[in-house]
Amino acid sequence: MPTGSITPLVALLWVLNVVLDTGGQLAFKAAAGDPAAGDGLARWLYMARRPWIWLGIASYVIEFLIWIAFLSLLHLSEAILLGSINIVAIMVAGHFLFGEKLTRMRVAGILLVTLGVLIVGVGG
Amino acid sequence: MKRGWFYLIGFLILVMFDSVGAISFKYAGMHALPVEFNVAWLLRLFGKPWVYGAVIGYVGAFFTWMTLLKHAPIGPAFAASHLEVVSVMLLSIWLFNEPLRLPHVLGAIAIVAGIVCLGFAESREHVPEAGET
Repeated sequence: MPTGSITPLVALLWVLNVVLDTGGQLAFKAAAGDPAAGDGLARWLYMARRPWIWLGIASYVIEFLIWIAFLSLLHLSEAILLGSINIVAIMVAGHFLFGEKLTRMRVAGILLVTLGVLIVGVGG
Repeated sequence: MKRGWFYLIGFLILVMFDSVGAISFKYAGMHALPVEFNVAWLLRLFGKPWVYGAVIGYVGAFFTWMTLLKHAPIGPAFAASHLEVVSVMLLSIWLFNEPLRLPHVLGAIAIVAGIVCLGFAESREHVPEAGET
């Protein structure tokens, strides 16, 4: 069944995976980066009482099923490369939501990863 | 220096969990074909052991990731964790007899070069996070 070709269904699953992965990671960062959380067990209990960690987990549960469907339709070696676009999405989102700086080197990295995903998507 | 070792070992554990997870995901999907968005597909999926290997990979990666994220900025940490593309690519050629086509090799080189750039971006300058003191 894996054909290696990107059908509309494969493309839709790919977009959903990027959206859920980025949303989940941003929620985890909001949970983990909270300076008021403290340390050790108290940190985990603090995070559990706030919505962010649960929002992240919910995104990941849905992404879990989407990702399996995606992998069923593509070769794993191709799918894992296409999934690298998540790096770009997360860095751009981290810049806008958490003020993480996009230095020249980071922009170069983002462009190279995007180029690589394009080569795999168009040529693969 | 102590933090350097913490990150190195932490990221190696993360890559290992991610690789185990990705391979298990592929096996889980293969054993639940055809892909359908209904209960029958979910029953086929969760009736086989592979999906639980994926869960172990996910949960292991999650706790490793949350431990690392406490101090690491999300962007570069996420990039470092994605070096798993190389291990997963090699493993899937070996385990699933997948063809290694030229666009995949070129794409992988560009992606890894991009990931290395992101790593350098972090080691050259410490970019303080918003809210970091």
